[in-house]
Amino acid sequence: MANIVVCYKWVLDEQDIKVNPGNLALDTSRAKSKISDYDRNAIEEAVLLNEKDGHKVTGLTFGVAGAKQSLKDALSRGPAEAVWVNDPVAAEADAFVTANVLAGALKKVGNYDVIICGEGAADTYAQQVGPRLAAVLGIPAITFVNQMSIEGDKVVATRKLGDCTETVTASFPVVVTVLPEINKPRIPSLKQVLGASKKPVTEIKLADLGLNPDDLKRKTTVKSLKGYAMTRKNVIYKDGSTAEKVAKLVAELAKEGAL
Amino acid sequence: MPTFLTEEQELMRQTAREFAKNEVAPVAKQLDETHEFPWAWVKRCAELGFLGIPIPEEYGGVGADALSEALIIEEIAKESGSLALIIDAHTSLGAMPLLFEGTEAQKQKYLVPAAKGEKLMSFGLTEPSAGSDAGGTKSTAVLDGDEWVLNGSKCWITNIGAAETYIVTAKTDPDKGNRGISAFILEKGTPGFEVGKLENKMGLNNSATGELIFKNVRIPKENLLGKLNRGFPLFLKGLDEGRLAISAMAVGMAQGVLDRAVAYSKERVQFGKPICKFQAIAFYLADMATEIELARTLLYRVARMHGAGQNFSKEVAILKYYASEMCVRVCNLGVQIFGGNGYSRDFEVERFYRDAKLLTIGEGTSEVCKIVISGNVLA
Repeated sequence: MANIVVCYKWVLDEQDIKVNPGNLALDTSRAKSKISDYDRNAIEEAVLLNEKDGHKVTGLTFGVAGAKQSLKDALSRGPAEAVWVNDPVAAEADAFVTANVLAGALKKVGNYDVIICGEGAADTYAQQVGPRLAAVLGIPAITFVNQMSIEGDKVVATRKLGDCTETVTASFPVVVTVLPEINKPRIPSLKQVLGASKKPVTEIKLADLGLNPDDLKRKTTVKSLKGYAMTRKNVIYKDGSTAEKVAKLVAELAKEGAL
Repeated sequence: MPTFLTEEQELMRQTAREFAKNEVAPVAKQLDETHEFPWAWVKRCAELGFLGIPIPEEYGGVGADALSEALIIEEIAKESGSLALIIDAHTSLGAMPLLFEGTEAQKQKYLVPAAKGEKLMSFGLTEPSAGSDAGGTKSTAVLDGDEWVLNGSKCWITNIGAAETYIVTAKTDPDKGNRGISAFILEKGTPGFEVGKLENKMGLNNSATGELIFKNVRIPKENLLGKLNRGFPLFLKGLDEGRLAISAMAVGMAQGVLDRAVAYSKERVQFGKPICKFQAIAFYLADMATEIELARTLLYRVARMHGAGQNFSKEVAILKYYASEMCVRVCNLGVQIFGGNGYSRDFEVERFYRDAKLLTIGEGTSEVCKIVISGNVLA
């Protein structure tokens, strides 16, 4: 039996974010939060592995006070318990800080054999936390995984690369980042939802992780945050043969620098 | 929108929303056209726990409160009124009377499989000469040794054929009007118990609604549900449950129409701008949103009263009357905003409009609700 830890991020639901059409400012005042989409794939994969071979699945998140709401949501999806590193630093954390904190939490919790993350987060999609986490812990990372299994004390995973796939094996402990196509996350049943409140949750304070102040200083800076507006020019090339219309379209796109 | 829900209620609503969006919405239009009973949906509802929401865990249910049930029905109704109605007929009308009055043996035999979603339920009260006037019930049940013998017929019964277990009413004392009616548990396949013809309805095409026929149906004596001649108060209590569910359907269906109308009004361009930029259309949307929010506020309040164990008969009649009429008004405006496309089967709002009309009729018409309300006001 392996100890599987699934890392997930509690993000704003992008569907609820409004963009001011004038200055492109983001209005998040009415946005609800959710478990980042690909992290739901990560949770589902851990639960599937548990259902197949019987492993222990723990959810792990680093979030602000509001991320408390995520715990029952995550637990309703199948993990046996959850660990939450609760600190306001999470609001401003980049992948460097997040990886340091998650690594600190994993060391504190102790037993971990397989750590599964989503390939990227629904808000930033930086695809950094998984590999950075592996680097901080000094263990292998297998990224872009669309199929995986646990065999003894090894993970066998198929990576989907640009024009090929490769199957790799790594001994425990190992970080795996999964693609959304790896599975279709289940909708939790009402009984799973109500059962979630009976599962154990461990809340950890950042101060208890013994990290250096430098580990918590972000490496990146956000200069500004804006929505993007997709404006349509509504140009229709009506006249001429198909070949002529295509030629006009191509010429126009080239002129604008789109090609 | 702050709704002051618990984390569990939010998550249960999320479960229902995901199911409705991912699994109901993509095929709702097609199924409406074929009129078939949506077994695939019903099986998923069983897996997710939607067929035993208010039934305690000890009887195989989820053990959630009335507000949770309302939230779930609301979400499902945004995509399919038919499926919401199937759940209403199964749970509120069928299973709840068993929970209220069933003996332990009856609960184990009939309520547990119903709450787990293994066996659908149905409730039969209405007859050609008895609906709102339950005293006009003509079906009879006569005790013959250790068996009740039922004769008569029912009409406008939902979930017929699909249901395995039926709660039906029959006269057990012909001289006593409402005080001579009893409730019985019938199993599908009992000799003499037949499913008659299905109604060809205006809407809610996927809920199987029609006749039940009893020809010397012999059932064990122990299948009397509740006390002899006390069927009337039992089904009045069941109807209160049903009115709450119908109101949740009304709020969900109206919201479904508003969401579609908002999206359409932003896309549909006339006179050089999206039609939502015209005040006439924008004000329709404002009216719709206002009415829905009022009904939803009352829905949650009445559900909370129910959850707190308070008598909510008057309030649920007010709610059902307002919410169902509101839903018809909102659907009407929705079709109007869609214009010619609203009248087309290619767009979904016409389905909601057809489905909505049942809400002012089933589980007590608006007029019957007003009798209940005025009776309470004048008491």
